Amino acid sequence: MANYLFLYRESGDAHADLSPEDMQKVMQSWMGWIGEAMKSGWMTAPGDALKPGGVIVAADKSVTDGPFAESKEIIGGYSIITADSYEHAAKLSEGCPVYAVGGKVEIRELAMVEITN
Amino acid sequence: MKPSTQTSNQLVEHFFRHESANLVSVLTRVFGFSQLQLVEDTVQSALLEALEHWKINGIPDNPAAWVHRVAKNKTLDALRRKNTETKVFAHLENDLRGSGQAAAVEFESLFEPQAIEDSLLRMMFACCHPNLDRHSQIALTLKILCGFGVREIASALLMTEEGARKRVYRAKSMLAEANVGLELPSEAELSDRVAAVNEVLYLMFNEGYQSATADQVIREDVCEEACRLCHLLCQSSIADSKNANGSSSALLALMLYHAARLKSRTDDDGGLVMLEDQDRGMWDQNLIGHANHWLNKSSKGKLTTFHLEAAILQTHCRARNFSETDWTTIVKLYDRLMEIHPTPIYQLNRAIAVGASGEIDEAIDSIKRISDDPKLKNYFLLDCTLAHLFRKAGQTELAIKHLNQAMELAKAEHEKALIRNRIREIEVGS
Repeated sequence: MANYLFLYRESGDAHADLSPEDMQKVMQSWMGWIGEAMKSGWMTAPGDALKPGGVIVAADKSVTDGPFAESKEIIGGYSIITADSYEHAAKLSEGCPVYAVGGKVEIRELAMVEITN
Repeated sequence: MKPSTQTSNQLVEHFFRHESANLVSVLTRVFGFSQLQLVEDTVQSALLEALEHWKINGIPDNPAAWVHRVAKNKTLDALRRKNTETKVFAHLENDLRGSGQAAAVEFESLFEPQAIEDSLLRMMFACCHPNLDRHSQIALTLKILCGFGVREIASALLMTEEGARKRVYRAKSMLAEANVGLELPSEAELSDRVAAVNEVLYLMFNEGYQSATADQVIREDVCEEACRLCHLLCQSSIADSKNANGSSSALLALMLYHAARLKSRTDDDGGLVMLEDQDRGMWDQNLIGHANHWLNKSSKGKLTTFHLEAAILQTHCRARNFSETDWTTIVKLYDRLMEIHPTPIYQLNRAIAVGASGEIDEAIDSIKRISDDPKLKNYFLLDCTLAHLFRKAGQTELAIKHLNQAMELAKAEHEKALIRNRIREIEVGS
């Protein structure tokens, strides 16, 4: 078992035109998915959402504003999960609502080994 | 990383939709219709922020307060951006930002529950403004006060999305050009303005209740919204005014009686179930109780068609089964309706009641008298009714003839299915 990071990548305007009722549906599907994953135990922390925007500090200490114009894709949030392998983690991500808006889940194994049973 | 605090809180149903209505109404009260676009963009962005934040973090303890705070901050940000272009809102921004300043305190107080209801009420009158035609009033009410998106409006009103978008856009432009404020109508114009709101809510409700093809969920939502807004109106001080004459309470009762029977009206396949065949055990007694309450409250003012239509439904709801229906009272109520608002549709319904009371020939005669009315031309229910009466009179050939005519006129599939069933029943029976 290892810990993995799920990074939810989606287009920055994936939800821009949603009607309020559709927002509620998206909301419920996320709540349902995360709730289920936490209950099943393979998700160990729901993580957090990342606000849009941000800044980048370069080596010369110059600060530029995000969002990062070269890609319209933003990271909307992250969660921590446990899985046997990348393959297993990918399988676990399948119900993620981000796919419904054409988004992606980036999966990264965390280097630090935590003792989990 | 913070500890896992995923809450199992569920949002109340339609939270986003209703908060959209609340916030657009409150902020339009501050900025006027000329800034509706700014207001709508601000509200959309606040709701999206809530969505993005909550979908992973879970719902906060007081989600409404959370969204209101975000919307307030976004409003101030939007004002700052506007002010860098033009100084139109320079004063307002300063006033609203100044802590303890009268304007800032007032702005804050607009988000109190009572004040929100007041803003919604004002918005109802604005959306039903006399400068707009009925169709625009309905579309705008769905957009602003029900928080419907264009797709949902199009589905509810059976129009294309492009058509719905244009209609909403034109209605907004008209209110912006006329610089309509969010004012309550004066006592002198109250009666007319309330009548307009009532009619819009009634048409909205019918759109949801009768619509043959709209998505089932949207239809129920439209009915529910019409009841919600009417309830808001009935609970406001407006309803107590002598010029409001209890018509809104009667309308609310009318809609609640219909809503109470909504589930029994369609079978498992979505087909229509006629009153006679409805399972009365499925009628929602709680809603009927509320309807009775509002009908009682409506009795002080001038009699309207809403009062009489509600009283007819009440009579139906009182009957334990179809055969125990008090048809004499119902026929009398239709007579009163014909006195204040003679229409062939009431006449047809009166005839149905007469027929149900056993007076088949009289019913057939009175339908024949209106069958050439242009308003009933191409109305498939007229032929269905005649077929039903002829069948009862034992004249099955005539019954089949009228059902075949009805079949040609019916548009929706569930109407056709109903007629096909009727024809089959007669053929099997004879």
